[in-house]
Amino acid sequence: MAPVHEGVNPKQRQYEAMVRALSADLYRYAFWLSRSETVAQDLVQETFLRAWKNLDSLRDAELAKPWLITILRREHARLYERKRLDTVELDDNVPEDAAFASPERSGDAAQVREAMLKLPDKYRDPLAMQVLGGMSCEEIAQSTGQQPGAVMTQLFRARQRLKDLLGGRAVAEGSRK
Amino acid sequence: MNCLEFRRRIGAEPRSRDPEILAHRDSCKDGCSAFWQRAQRFEDDLEAALAVPVPEGLADRILLAQATGERHRQVGRRRAWMAMAASVLIAFAGVGMLWRHADLNSLPALAVAHMPEEMDAMSLTQPMTDAQVEAGFVGRATRLKGPAPAGVTYVHDCTVGPYPAVHVVTRMDDEPVVALYMPGKMVDKTTEFHRDGWDGRQVALSGGTLVVMAQGASRKTRDTVERGWRAAIEGPVGQAVGRI
Repeated sequence: MAPVHEGVNPKQRQYEAMVRALSADLYRYAFWLSRSETVAQDLVQETFLRAWKNLDSLRDAELAKPWLITILRREHARLYERKRLDTVELDDNVPEDAAFASPERSGDAAQVREAMLKLPDKYRDPLAMQVLGGMSCEEIAQSTGQQPGAVMTQLFRARQRLKDLLGGRAVAEGSRK
Repeated sequence: MNCLEFRRRIGAEPRSRDPEILAHRDSCKDGCSAFWQRAQRFEDDLEAALAVPVPEGLADRILLAQATGERHRQVGRRRAWMAMAASVLIAFAGVGMLWRHADLNSLPALAVAHMPEEMDAMSLTQPMTDAQVEAGFVGRATRLKGPAPAGVTYVHDCTVGPYPAVHVVTRMDDEPVVALYMPGKMVDKTTEFHRDGWDGRQVALSGGTLVVMAQGASRKTRDTVERGWRAAIEGPVGQAVGRI
């Protein structure tokens, strides 16, 4: 059903457009950050609610995604702070089954996902920000409070680790015909 | 840019459109172009792999949560405004009731309310003797310190509201003017009033309060009567000053 715009104020329209355009990418980033479908959904919901409250501070539509990712990272940190006492440590190598319950599960994509889940947080997070968020090294550095050079090193090593984890599999070398 | 730098940059930012990188890719004879191609394919695979399925209806649920929250806040804000408006209304009503209560118990209101039962006294024309006038004041434990004004046609000890008073009527230029003297009842200042057809003034004296009022009498007449009763109660001006 097409959204009804008549009588809707510009702020609400901007918000709806932002949700429809960016919620999928934001969810994917949240999933790779938290490695949990349910947590990712909660994070995205909370992020967009906070975004609504602060929407006036967003001046440039091009910056919407980095802005949302920064909010989401803060929400994730908050969630982690709240739940750290009652969270059961999970094996880092075990993804949620539901996350890959799709035809894509088989084949190279599944291998890359498994390898991605094995990456340490310090590599997985900036890599997801770059690949899913389309963020530059400078933007990632700004969002994570690091130097751009350090982020560049993390991204380089993240890919190296991924390739190591994938071993000699075809995808590691991007050798599709 | 050399090959090492090129590969380091591509390893960190495979999608970079930096002209330096692209120039090296296009000019290098040592396999950097092939390296770049492999990096792009790896990145394609990585992007496809990271694009996990998004739960159905996610965007709609986000919008629903926002709209529900916003509606809830609007209702809350409206309730707060209504509560504030009700508070203001109650405050105004309270102040109004207090003001009305204070007004109904003011000396002018009590004096005017006293008059209906004394209207017959307004039509008397026979002047009273000084002795009769003085006797009226003695009834309220007050001794006149000066001569009473001429033309007093009525003297009576009454009660105005809760206050014991001497009620006198002075006829001047054929206009009856009422004076109510309440010994011991102190007011802060002299004030004029117009109430229910009565024009009057409450006057602070040294030992009590004098209310002078009339229906239709000129201001000059009322002023003259007031001066007369002030002199009679407090004594002539010179005497009063002498006491100070």
